[in-house]
Amino acid sequence: MLEIRNLHARIEEDGREILKGIDLSVKAGEVHAIMGPNGSGKSTLASVLAGRPGYEITEGSVTYQDRDLLGLAADERAREGIFLAFQYPVEIPGVNNMYFLRAALNAVRKQRGDKDLDAGQFLKAVRAKLKLLDIGEDLLQRAVNVGFSGGEKKRNEIFQMAMLEPKLAILDETDSGLDIDALRVVSNGVNRLRSPERAIVMITHYQRLLDYIEPDHVHVLSGGKIVLSGDKNLATELEKHGYAMLGDAA
Amino acid sequence: MTVTKPETAPWLAAFKSRVPLAHEPAALTLRRETSLNRFAELGLPTRRDEDWRYTDLRPLDGKNLTAHLSKISEDIDINSYVLEDSAHRIVLFNGHWVESLSKLDKLPSGVWFGPSSNWLKDFPDLNMEILETSEFEGRQPFTSLNGAFFSDGFVLTLDPGVVLNRPIQILHVGQTGKSGAQHLRNLVRLGSGAQATLVESFSGEGDYWTNAATSIHLAESATLHHVRLQDEALEAIHFASVRATLGVRSKYDTFTLTLGARLSRHDIAASIEGEGAHCALGGAFLLRGQQDATTVTLVDHAAPGCETRELYKGVVDERSHGAFLGKIAVRPDAQKTDAHQLSRNLLLSPRASVDTKPELEIYADDVKCSHGATVGDLDEAALFYLRARGIPEDEARRMLIYAFTAEAIETVGNMALRAYLHGHLERWLAKSGK
Amino acid sequence: MSGATAETLDAVQSASGDSYKYGFFTDIEAETAPPGLNEDTIRFISAKKEEPQWLLDWRLEAYRVWLKMAEPHWAKLKVAPIDYQGATYYSAPKQDKDRPKSLDEIDPELLKTYEKLGIPLREREALAGIAVDAVFDSVSVATTFKGKLGEMGIIFCSFGEAVREHPELVRKYLGTVVPQGDNFFAALNSAVFSDGSFVYVPEGVRCPMELSTYFRINAANTGQFERTLLIADKGAYVSYLEGCTAPQRDENQLHAAVVELVALEGAQIKYSTVQNWYPGDAEGRGGIYNFVTKRGICKGDNSKISWTQVETGSAITWKYPSCILEGDNSVGEFYSVAITNNLQQADTGTKMIHIGKNTRSTIISKGISAGRGQNTYRGLVRMLPKAKNSRNFTQCDSLLVGDKCGAHTVPYVEIRNPSARAEHEATTSKVSDDQMFYCQQRGLSKEDALALIVNGFCKEVLKELPMEFAVEAQKLLAVSLEGSVG
Repeated sequence: MLEIRNLHARIEEDGREILKGIDLSVKAGEVHAIMGPNGSGKSTLASVLAGRPGYEITEGSVTYQDRDLLGLAADERAREGIFLAFQYPVEIPGVNNMYFLRAALNAVRKQRGDKDLDAGQFLKAVRAKLKLLDIGEDLLQRAVNVGFSGGEKKRNEIFQMAMLEPKLAILDETDSGLDIDALRVVSNGVNRLRSPERAIVMITHYQRLLDYIEPDHVHVLSGGKIVLSGDKNLATELEKHGYAMLGDAA
Repeated sequence: MTVTKPETAPWLAAFKSRVPLAHEPAALTLRRETSLNRFAELGLPTRRDEDWRYTDLRPLDGKNLTAHLSKISEDIDINSYVLEDSAHRIVLFNGHWVESLSKLDKLPSGVWFGPSSNWLKDFPDLNMEILETSEFEGRQPFTSLNGAFFSDGFVLTLDPGVVLNRPIQILHVGQTGKSGAQHLRNLVRLGSGAQATLVESFSGEGDYWTNAATSIHLAESATLHHVRLQDEALEAIHFASVRATLGVRSKYDTFTLTLGARLSRHDIAASIEGEGAHCALGGAFLLRGQQDATTVTLVDHAAPGCETRELYKGVVDERSHGAFLGKIAVRPDAQKTDAHQLSRNLLLSPRASVDTKPELEIYADDVKCSHGATVGDLDEAALFYLRARGIPEDEARRMLIYAFTAEAIETVGNMALRAYLHGHLERWLAKSGK
Repeated sequence: MSGATAETLDAVQSASGDSYKYGFFTDIEAETAPPGLNEDTIRFISAKKEEPQWLLDWRLEAYRVWLKMAEPHWAKLKVAPIDYQGATYYSAPKQDKDRPKSLDEIDPELLKTYEKLGIPLREREALAGIAVDAVFDSVSVATTFKGKLGEMGIIFCSFGEAVREHPELVRKYLGTVVPQGDNFFAALNSAVFSDGSFVYVPEGVRCPMELSTYFRINAANTGQFERTLLIADKGAYVSYLEGCTAPQRDENQLHAAVVELVALEGAQIKYSTVQNWYPGDAEGRGGIYNFVTKRGICKGDNSKISWTQVETGSAITWKYPSCILEGDNSVGEFYSVAITNNLQQADTGTKMIHIGKNTRSTIISKGISAGRGQNTYRGLVRMLPKAKNSRNFTQCDSLLVGDKCGAHTVPYVEIRNPSARAEHEATTSKVSDDQMFYCQQRGLSKEDALALIVNGFCKEVLKELPMEFAVEAQKLLAVSLEGSVG
């Protein structure tokens, strides 16, 4: 589904190279965890895949469903089924959450050739998914992420993911800032969304999340490159020895 | 002997050949001459005048501004501007009252609402009130010009205690094939405890010039909600000045949505003369093409314990220019003044520009006054977030512009009016090709 | 009294034997130009200063421009008419016989202030203009540092000396930041400027000490029309301190100084001012009219100019230290405290003109009005079409002490580029009764409580001042506010 080849990327503003040759292959139905120390380029990878402005690809390629992903604008990627759960969900004052979600859902549906949902159908779909993430309906009446607690923001991200039903979900540090109860709710939500058609890439600093969402593959990113890959046991190793063990591997 | 500014000569000549109103009292003619002399003395403003530093008057060049629009049609389409919820309405076409389209029946007792021309006829003793503020006591040449030339307008007066629950509407429509002016003179006077909601819309076709002047007087505990929709033709010029005096515990709140006109000015001066009064000025301007709009506000706190809230939002795109000059003055005795002023602007194009000057002038110490101003583009992070959810860029931009503007519209209390403004905002956004 | 000042005094005393050797006034006879201003006055000044022809021509050019200009009246200031033809535009340094003979002849209020600021006796005499045995002259002080600075290639001398010794530098930069016809007072200054300071820091050099007039009385001698030119070449750094912390006894009413700063690529200039000219008495009699034009240009990429000012003196202050941010990534800063008490008026602020890409400016202004004082912040932030991704943040706060004063804020924000961002915030409030009571309940007097609160209010700005200046500036705030709480 996703093929990343020798991907190099730098920050446009200061020219700093962050990704220095990433190779990664993700198939439908798989869950990949990308771990690594702070500053290793994890979030940059997520941003580059989602098409966040401000990065320049200097080398390499990303193929998504046999198409050149890098040639697509951010919203086109989203409509093609790529979903990024933000590490810091953006607050958008004045834009009603419900309105926002409906606009997004209809944009995605249009791409798939589905008809727009009318207000009734939309509400029904919303209610079903809200329960899944233990979100109150009042949250929908508020502006996007404005005044949400850290936990509410993360739950809202996964709720949106549930609504938009992406093919490839990238979860950027979704576990950060969550207490244990919230982590459980969010993880359950993600687990419910696992399916043979859907790939999930989780980016995390800690092994903790992987206790709740079991990955098929674990990769360690360091200095802008994937330096180690393995199965879920790799995460346990890392937990034991810390990122210091990368000294040898890298 | 006062000096006459040479550029005013065409108007002086036009005044001589003007056709007076039917039943125009001699006293009014005298007052008109006073206004004309004041205009001749002031001349046209230039960028050296502080309040005009951001207004480029070149679009006035080459226009036949001394000509007056005539009443040419009653067959005009006002449907998209009519507020369904309004109880009474006046339609003024090219500065003349169109009786057939107006709705003035069943006015409750204690209410006088009608065209200014009728007011002058009905109340020969009171008729000077419409001109009483000596052209708003300032350097307002166009208001003085209005005093000399106005053809009609509207008057609303409420006796003490009269409360109108449903809005009253005034539709100003201009239409011309060649340039010409409509000078409108309006008066609103609310007795103590009276309450009213007023909606004005400005629309039309062609390159006409609207020059409106409105005086508002609120007696003790009176409340006026005043909403203005400026959706003039894109070739038109729109100047409007509003002067309000606020009595003890009175409330004046006004909101202007500016969408139209090639060049527009809105000057509001509110004098807070009574203790405990509340004044809320708000507006939003959305401009594109080569539009140029300036809002000038002055709130003069002359009495203690009063409150002012100002929120103006500007959206400028393409090659347009928007400006806000706001001043809050607090006089020495106006202790316990609580005033806040905010000017926020979105600059969407490299060829557009914004100027903002929020000003505080404070001579009392026990006050809470603040102001703020921001200018910037749409929030990149928000735009990316929307796009990352699959929303196309132009729609995402429209959503953010809508949200930005809606925050100001939300200050309008009346739901029907909010919906009216939202509707026109959406229409504007739908027109954006980007 | 800070250590640095004490050292300075020592330096003065040791250097005093050799005074006037490099002085401003060595070649000037005790002569005064007749009152009035015409081309002959300017020729007289230029001749007295033995200036080259090009500078005389430059002055005359300025004078001719000035003649066509009108006094500006846009500031929120009430200025009594100034008789430009009645003033004297050149006077030789005061002779001892004209000076007061002892402190007994000096206004006791002034002396009290010196005492409060902790100024040593000798220095008080000098400040008050008394003829004292050891002549305290800044130039002689500067001399002691000259050797050290000279080794590094730094030029720090009087303007007059710079004209003689480094004409090519003066000619290259004079008037490039503040042109002769920039404004009425700058034109006047350009025509008749008396003297001032000149600084040049060569490429890559970091000036190791805070350059300053180093002694309080310097400014009094450089007179009414001071001209300062400061150039930091590529990658250079310099911090310049101007002014005095004690009130000056000065009978010149009109002061119209010009300061020009030039920062080339990667250079940084920090310019700090503490201005405490005579503000006039409690009834508003006397006092200095301080009409100053200060402007810096960040000419090169990555350069930075930072203005810090504490304005407590003068009857009228009209002053807008500004930055032209021409180089990409250049930075402009303006930190200001302005106090007006009694009948003082201040109309001060800054202009930040963003021309280059990624330019940044910060404006922090704290205005304090007491007594019947009027205090206006007037600032302009302009971002031109090429100022891509530029940023401004402005915060101006006003504090009112008493109900007879005024605090005004007049910001102009003019934006011509969509990727630029400007934010302006301003508040006006009075000293809270709760804060005052709290302090008083803990045993502080009303005046001390007020000083404490005002210092807190100004903290963001005071922390920008060099250490030894900051301490005195704090005391100065307290002194300036005296009598404002009953």
